[in-house]
Amino acid sequence: MDILTAFSAKDSVEEIIEDINNQLGFFDTEFLVFFASSKFSPKEISQKMQDAFPVSQIIGCSTAGEIIQGKLLNNSVVAMAFNSGAIDDVAIEVVENLPDEGAIKKAFGSFESHFNASMADMDPQKYVGIVLVDGLSCAEEALMENIGDLTNVIFVGGSAGDDLQFKATHVYTKGKCYSNAAVLALLKPRKEFTFVKAQSFRDLNKTLEVTKADEAKREVIEFNGKPAAIAYAEAVGTSVDEAPKKFMLNPLGLIIDDEPYVRSPQQIKSNGSMSFYCGVLEGTELSVLESTDIISDTRKAIEQAKQELGTISAIININCILRTLEITQKNLVGDYEVLFSGIPTVGLSSYGEQYIGHINQTATMLVFK
Amino acid sequence: MAGKIKQLIDFIISQRAKDNPMLERVIKTKLILKGINPIKYTQMSDDDPVILAKLERMMQELK
Repeated sequence: MDILTAFSAKDSVEEIIEDINNQLGFFDTEFLVFFASSKFSPKEISQKMQDAFPVSQIIGCSTAGEIIQGKLLNNSVVAMAFNSGAIDDVAIEVVENLPDEGAIKKAFGSFESHFNASMADMDPQKYVGIVLVDGLSCAEEALMENIGDLTNVIFVGGSAGDDLQFKATHVYTKGKCYSNAAVLALLKPRKEFTFVKAQSFRDLNKTLEVTKADEAKREVIEFNGKPAAIAYAEAVGTSVDEAPKKFMLNPLGLIIDDEPYVRSPQQIKSNGSMSFYCGVLEGTELSVLESTDIISDTRKAIEQAKQELGTISAIININCILRTLEITQKNLVGDYEVLFSGIPTVGLSSYGEQYIGHINQTATMLVFK
Repeated sequence: MAGKIKQLIDFIISQRAKDNPMLERVIKTKLILKGINPIKYTQMSDDDPVILAKLERMMQELK
């Protein structure tokens, strides 16, 4: 086995680290990813995880829930360890003061020195990036756009959570914790890999064009020339007052190649505008979506990845907190767990997901053969 | 003036994708997420300076 998982639901950071070390201490961990409940001190968890695995390259973040082998957990820490049989090489950089474009270029410069290859020319079938970003930074769109402009390597990842407190989220590496920052890991795996982008919605073929927006605030002021809340409520067949009840099952999506890049409404403002969990650009046509079978859709997405690779040895699963809430509310926790049976999996319930861009109500997964 | 947007989109896709269909799809997705839908632009499309600036910036990053 070249990739192992571990988890602990002990109470203190000391006990957690000891527990995880007991499970992984014998393993020659080259690279370790961990996701930790926000109940643990960010400074302490990052420092002690690095102390426990002093020669390993480590990234992690705080969560709104943890995932191990499909089990949806809270108040725990989950980890995935890769040895040199799984990873040929890895480099990690921190991008602080998001969305500082210069910091991203600097990070990429370090990657280029480390791998002795230009980021612009790196083969996206040989390299893959993992991005973990402060989930309250509102900077994910700019970060992903800058990354995408500089390289063809796919960066997949998620926005850190804080158990739905919306106070502070953290990313971790090299024994330190950061806010308003992203950690980027550039991997050269020895194993083949692919991606899953799973969302469970169908297009209702009703279009809302963003005719006025405050893009920096992730607010839509008007759809189709009308106050955003009125246009949305009409499109989903309800009143403005009742419209927020439709947000989870009827988000909006930018349709690309018949696939939605979901934009989830967050709130109706007193002036009739709507805020979203990700950026919405003026001039964009968004489709009204309707929730479908989250279990069946996720199963299909994982099966497709398995068909592509032949086998699956591990998955890093970034699952939107809204999907986790839907799974929980619909009593589908057991069905969800079965989807990952026999597949070493770690993940988190996230405040946003990244795959090419920043998206909502999606599971983005990095899948290894 | 017209057509420059389509010209730049085609150039960016060919330079970055190098005839790899998977990369072509990824680059088109990146463009759409930036608010630039390649299928909406033809040789007759007006040279919108805002869109041109976004594309020129993307080209700069390639160098």
